[in-house]
Amino acid sequence: MSYQIVVCGGLAPDPLQTLEPVFDTVKPSLRNELMLPAVFDPWAAHALYEAGHLARQHPGTLVRVVSLAPKAKLQQVMMTVAQKLPFELAALDGPAGGFTDAAATAEALAAAIAAMPDLDRSRLLLFGGWESATRGAGVVMQRVAERLGIREQFLAVDELVVEPDGALLIKERVEGGRHQISRCASPPAMLAWATGSLPEPPNHPQTGMANMRVILPALQKARPVSLAQTAEFVRVALPAAVRQTRIVKDVSAAEIAREIAEWIRQ
Amino acid sequence: MEKVLVLLHTVDGGLPAAAMETLGLARRLDAPWDLGVIGAGAAAAAQSVSGGAGKCFAVEGELFAASRYATDAAACEAVIRASGAPVVLAPDTLRFHRALPGVAERLGAAIDTHVVAVSGDGTIERWFYRQRIEAELKRSQRPWILLIEPGSQPAAEAAPGAAPERLEVACETRTSVEGFSTPVTGEQTIRPDAPLLFVAGAGWTKKQKDGAVHLEEAAQLILDFVRKSQCSLGSSKSLVDLSSEGQPVLPFLTHLHQVGQTGSSPRHKKGLATCCHGEEPHVVGWRFIKERRAINLDPNCGWARGKADVVYVADAFEVMRELLRLL
Amino acid sequence: MEKDNREQPEAAPLDADIVCTGFGPATAGFLWTLTRGLQQPEMAAVESKAMPGLPPQVLCYERADDISFGVSGVVTRARAIRASIPDLDPAAIPLAARVSEEKLIYLLDPHGATRRPAWMRLADQLCRAFSFLLRVEHEGLALPWVPAFLHKGDGFIFSLGQFLQWTGQQVMMTGLAQIWPGTPAAAPLIRDGRVEGVRLASDGSEVRAALTVVGDGPVGAVSRQLDEAFGMPAGRRRDEWAVGMKMVVDLPERCTLREGTVWHTIGYPEPEIFGFLYVHPDRIASVGIFVPSWMDSPVRTSYRYLQHFVRHPYLWRHLEGGRLRSWGAKSLLESGRRGEPYLAGDGYARIGECSGSTNVLTGSGVDEAWLTGVQLAEAVLELLAEGKPFTRENLEARYVARRRASWLERESQAAERARNGFQWGLLPGFAGMALAGLTGGRLAWPRRREERGIRRIEEYYAGRLSRSQIERARAAADAEGRPLHDVLMDLCGWPKIEYDGRLLVSHQDALLMGGKVQAPAEFPDHVVFRSPALCRSCETRLCIEICSGEAIHAVAGGDGTPGFDREKCVHCGACLWNCPAGNIEFCAAPGGLHSAEN
Repeated sequence: MSYQIVVCGGLAPDPLQTLEPVFDTVKPSLRNELMLPAVFDPWAAHALYEAGHLARQHPGTLVRVVSLAPKAKLQQVMMTVAQKLPFELAALDGPAGGFTDAAATAEALAAAIAAMPDLDRSRLLLFGGWESATRGAGVVMQRVAERLGIREQFLAVDELVVEPDGALLIKERVEGGRHQISRCASPPAMLAWATGSLPEPPNHPQTGMANMRVILPALQKARPVSLAQTAEFVRVALPAAVRQTRIVKDVSAAEIAREIAEWIRQ
Repeated sequence: MEKVLVLLHTVDGGLPAAAMETLGLARRLDAPWDLGVIGAGAAAAAQSVSGGAGKCFAVEGELFAASRYATDAAACEAVIRASGAPVVLAPDTLRFHRALPGVAERLGAAIDTHVVAVSGDGTIERWFYRQRIEAELKRSQRPWILLIEPGSQPAAEAAPGAAPERLEVACETRTSVEGFSTPVTGEQTIRPDAPLLFVAGAGWTKKQKDGAVHLEEAAQLILDFVRKSQCSLGSSKSLVDLSSEGQPVLPFLTHLHQVGQTGSSPRHKKGLATCCHGEEPHVVGWRFIKERRAINLDPNCGWARGKADVVYVADAFEVMRELLRLL
Repeated sequence: MEKDNREQPEAAPLDADIVCTGFGPATAGFLWTLTRGLQQPEMAAVESKAMPGLPPQVLCYERADDISFGVSGVVTRARAIRASIPDLDPAAIPLAARVSEEKLIYLLDPHGATRRPAWMRLADQLCRAFSFLLRVEHEGLALPWVPAFLHKGDGFIFSLGQFLQWTGQQVMMTGLAQIWPGTPAAAPLIRDGRVEGVRLASDGSEVRAALTVVGDGPVGAVSRQLDEAFGMPAGRRRDEWAVGMKMVVDLPERCTLREGTVWHTIGYPEPEIFGFLYVHPDRIASVGIFVPSWMDSPVRTSYRYLQHFVRHPYLWRHLEGGRLRSWGAKSLLESGRRGEPYLAGDGYARIGECSGSTNVLTGSGVDEAWLTGVQLAEAVLELLAEGKPFTRENLEARYVARRRASWLERESQAAERARNGFQWGLLPGFAGMALAGLTGGRLAWPRRREERGIRRIEEYYAGRLSRSQIERARAAADAEGRPLHDVLMDLCGWPKIEYDGRLLVSHQDALLMGGKVQAPAEFPDHVVFRSPALCRSCETRLCIEICSGEAIHAVAGGDGTPGFDREKCVHCGACLWNCPAGNIEFCAAPGGLHSAEN
């Protein structure tokens, strides 16, 4: 069986950067947002790699990324992601960032997916990250799926195995460090991935160049999207660093161990 | 505060800690509240805590015992509609986090997750950018579903009350739950209820003072400590990444152990970080850990800059050897 | 979790029309001009030879993980940049500002530890004696004028990373060029004296193109291998370098420095070290130093000197209370025209710093590099339109000729001998620079026949430290695992830097907090010591002292070869030109700095 895997993913600031909020009493944003280097959202990226893996196992499978982000930044990020696996891109040119509205984002993504002329629901797998590294809400994928009428949904997925009869065997993280194993008889299904079980694929320049033939025109055609804001922000701040750290130096390991053992026992 | 629906689910027939915390929050908000419980044994569970509730609903039966989207969403939707309360409080468990956003879409409701505080005037607090930025916000859209972050609220005492009205809900689904998997190593090193979290950082796998790497001893020290202290084991991203690149570094560490920006934010009372630098993307995962200590050879590491209570400038190998002797 | 080895596609060669190595200001100028030129109606008929039916396929491979991770000062007159972008508005580029005021400042020695020659100590004493008259304040003397050759008054302050991110986005939005980050080019493909493309470092794939544009900077692998293959033109040598190291700082709230302020400094932390302070918008400043190769200290180093520079009272009064945002370092090729290689050959052309475009007299390289890129692009557009091949003759006639006819050539000739004097000493050095600068290069100090090599430690510290002190210092450095320069500087009276955890932090913290240095796991070590015997017999271990990231370090009880910690390397290449025996192989690899603010 070959699938149509639509992967939703946005951008996040490179995780090593220092983030500071600015809040003009209407809409919060990040200080120097334009400056920050961006990456493809880390969990969405895992979802994408899993999609690529599945596509290799099921020839004829199409992987298509749908992304809502500022066009120029998305272009830049694609130059890294596009080297990793073959995929198409449907781009929406709009704001990114944690303070944008999840419902509005889901509406835009769902509309773009529904408008795909070749969409085949019987083979459709909707992938994404279980939450974004920006808003961190973990609601967009479910909303998109509902809008598309997909009522088999999975959250915090780490593994997908296709059985011989075409059923999907899915492992989701649950509390307590375990996985729940579910069986979904057939697509369409939505899988919001945690880290999955694959390492990041290495870069392949040939893959990148081949992808550009589709990705570059997609970016140039990206339709502008504006997102309504429904939340009313009251306060946005960095958490206070409250601790006065006591630094213990020039003390023997044995003494330190004694102190720690006592602390543990308290 | 407007009327609230406290929406809970059972785990193994009872109400988990996260549910009692959500209930506690509702009571403290001093608003009229309804109760709804779904899952196996929902009716009995509901009755055990319905003291003080207005209306009380339960959805149970074999179809609703399993944690899965279609059936949970149908059950939750039914309860929310039956109650009609404009605000819904539910624990942010994986089961509800899976189901409720889709329910919000069906109901035209707003939803916010990982909520750590709710005030009487309807202002909520949640975190953005993987807990690097905190924000307070309000919404006028109703219904408004709030998923309350487990561990952020004190739990309520159970107060029994009236029996719930059972709602009949029909639902079809193509998904069945087959079971649960055991941890990869055959030994449970993730213990969410342990009082202590022990985090191993990439420094364990680096060259030590003698210029050599001591992987076997590192693994043995870490595992022995985890076993003896019955603590929970966590890891920094860099160490987990090394493990997943196919390198036989510390094979008992998986992405499930990862704490921090792209990992989890566990809730232990105490945390001990070893051989990790304490940089922001990792430390954000420590947000809910109350007492923090670190062992690091660098007195200027991130932990020393206000992120830990105590930093022991020492060789972790030596300290852990001594610590194991004492335990 | 296993690596899925089945899925590696074959490393088949890639075919393009033009392949560029490195995305720095030179390649940015090249691609900016080329893509705009290709969009002109008269170029519509030009087709790709690699993929007929499509427009020319133009690829650029950049080593760093993002095009915004470059590092430089930058203050520039931006003549060439503005010629390309007439409506350049600094407000569109984060951290860009117009120069608003400019000063040249002589910094006195506040604590007597610097190695000033007697005449400079006298100068300090005179400055202090007449401080009121001369308006010496906070141990600094702002000279009443900035020499014309240094003058940037009509220009801009940039963050190079942000400038490159902005230009790179604009270039890619045309759809006519692809800039691939995290993809280092390991070597040129050379056959029968022709360059036919490059080989990528990751998997050895070949990228073949009719034209290879080499813009990979002063220590770029492709550029250096072209020199090895084709040699340098007679009399040309790359023997003058510097390490540039900087911090980007959040200025404290009470700071009164205006946006657009430019300071050039001389005299501190050592007389050979020039420094700078530039003020960007939003109370952000770049502050840095240049540690040159003609500073013949056997333990020359950068980071600690940078901290002392920041602590100098003239700067500290503005910086105290600030916060380190970013940190970075690079090598600068200061040989200028004397180090100019073959600029073009069959199938290739060189632009930017690797082609000797940096001007040491004016202390500028970004605009010059951009100009060389523009010149090459104009040549390429002509050749494409005329259907002519990229032969040495054609490239010399169109690109090199343009270069020779431009202000770049005039000014680089003026600069060619500007630094000769420093080979003799400081006073001749400064005098020589002034002479060259004021006469447009017509007059200059003669060049010394033998290069002034690195001195032995005992000789360098003669008169300040005894042999036994130096011996004890070596022992202490070995025992405590500290670099030797640290111990020696302490002995010479350099005050200890008090870390405040915000701006003054340990070297490792600067790497992590500021540079956010990374190294991807699947690459081998890219700095390799060729012959352990040579390392064993090396007295100075200058590589350890000068390493910008402390990646090269002593190994206790080893075979004498220094250790290399990939995760700390910022790819500055200082090791390459500091090793007196040329024993270091410095390969192309991804990773390094992960800050977009340098």
